[in-house]
Amino acid sequence: MIKVEQLHKSFGNNEVLKDISLEIKKGDVVAIIGPSGSGKSTLLRCINLLETPTQGHIFIDDQNVTTINNRNMIKIREKVGMVFQHFHLFPHKTVLENLTYAPVKVKNKTKQEAVQKAEELLKRVGLSEKAEAYPSRLSGGQKQRVAIARALAMEPEYLLFDEPTSALDPEMVKEVLDVMMDLAKQGMTMAVVTHEMGFARMVADKVIFMDQGQILEVASPEEFFSHPKTDRAKDFLEKVL
Amino acid sequence: MDIFSGFSLIAHSIPYIVNGVWTTLEIALVSAISGMILGILLSLCKIGRIKILAWLADFYTSIFRGTPLILQLTIVYFATPQLIGYDISAFLAAVITFGFNSGAYMSEIIRSGINAVDKGQFEAAGALGVPYGAMMKDIILPQAIKKILPAMMNEFITLTKESAIVSTIGVLDLMRRAQVVAAENSLYFPPLIVSFVVYYILVMILTILGRLFERRMSRSD
Ligand SMILES: Nc1ncnc2c1ncn2[C@@H]1O[C@H](COP(=O)(O)OP(=O)(O)OP(=O)(O)O)[C@@H](O)[C@H]1O
Ligand SMILES: [Mg+2]
Repeated sequence: MIKVEQLHKSFGNNEVLKDISLEIKKGDVVAIIGPSGSGKSTLLRCINLLETPTQGHIFIDDQNVTTINNRNMIKIREKVGMVFQHFHLFPHKTVLENLTYAPVKVKNKTKQEAVQKAEELLKRVGLSEKAEAYPSRLSGGQKQRVAIARALAMEPEYLLFDEPTSALDPEMVKEVLDVMMDLAKQGMTMAVVTHEMGFARMVADKVIFMDQGQILEVASPEEFFSHPKTDRAKDFLEKVL
Repeated sequence: MDIFSGFSLIAHSIPYIVNGVWTTLEIALVSAISGMILGILLSLCKIGRIKILAWLADFYTSIFRGTPLILQLTIVYFATPQLIGYDISAFLAAVITFGFNSGAYMSEIIRSGINAVDKGQFEAAGALGVPYGAMMKDIILPQAIKKILPAMMNEFITLTKESAIVSTIGVLDLMRRAQVVAAENSLYFPPLIVSFVVYYILVMILTILGRLFERRMSRSD
């Protein structure tokens, strides 16, 4: 379980997260939505230790990660995978190498084990034939599927997605969402920052609505989309739906 | 004496001058390699979190960029031995000076290359739990170096040309050999022109090789 307690994050004088508390239970899919600049990415980045919180605590499986040393930080990052809006594949490595690099380097897997796992994952995201290709030869949708496979190669228990389809051409959104739905079905615990309301509605167990650094609503998708409680959520939904 | 009889007079010395190219290349190559290793270390200090190392690396760079190379060479070859009483060969002094000097320049080039790598690459590696050292070695530096290949090639060519000042401490490079032949015959134009042409051809070859290499590297993406 991921538990965030009274989290604050400031950049200089700009308080970007204000008193955020939330829980992500094992097996849950949580959709995080809200207008641009509301702090969604910063929240994910705090959970993944890419940013250091100014105040408050984050627990991952009961370990307080806000007071963590370097070695345990790597353990946590193995446990929590991240998929970025702009993929960030390693351009100088082939697709297969992208998938095997971290498992070999960080998890001390043998090359053989890593390759086997990578091939399995590429099959799962439908890209077996691209194993030897370099990322620059792939379409956006293919890149993002490789990025998801790369995160999965570490066998994480939690997967964070930061707007995984926002940089894609419309015709490629579905192939990525399909992979994510498949993951959700298999019980992967996921936190997804997204502007894809259809996906949030269909796949999420819980919707978190953020605005100006605060969580304004936490609700089931049906409840949130049909009866938003706050005016700001209503405004937001009017704009995006 | 006309120019042709000048050349025929030193004809038997031309191979001697031309062979100086190997000394020139040796100095440039050894200096470039040690400069690159030093440059990588310095650039890592510069971008790292440890303030004192970053400051030291910046200081190092400013010293080597802020003083004449010929003076650095003279200090290493003549002054320091006198001070602490060791003996150093001219070749070693040359390679040490050029290596240290080129390390300063290379570190700036490599630093700019690292800064040009997409920040997302650091984050992706970090999110996968890749430790800092491995991230730098396997993910960041290969991309950085690819971006700065032209600048590094330039640095190498500069090094090749600038290495001519080792003639001042008696290393028998291309330049020095031309001077030796000139002095022996009291005839300046022909031997100097020979080394002039060899330097030029050498730099042209290096330029072309650099372009070919760049083209091959860019093919992988
Ligand atoms: N490294 C940083 N330094 C300074 N300010 C930052 C930094 N990262 C984010 N911010 C600021 O924090 C605020 C929240 O940013 P964040 O990226 O978390 O929003 P977001 O909800 O993900 O928005 P979007 O939908 O546009 O991605 C913004 O005002 C942004 O300018
Ligand atoms: Mg964002």
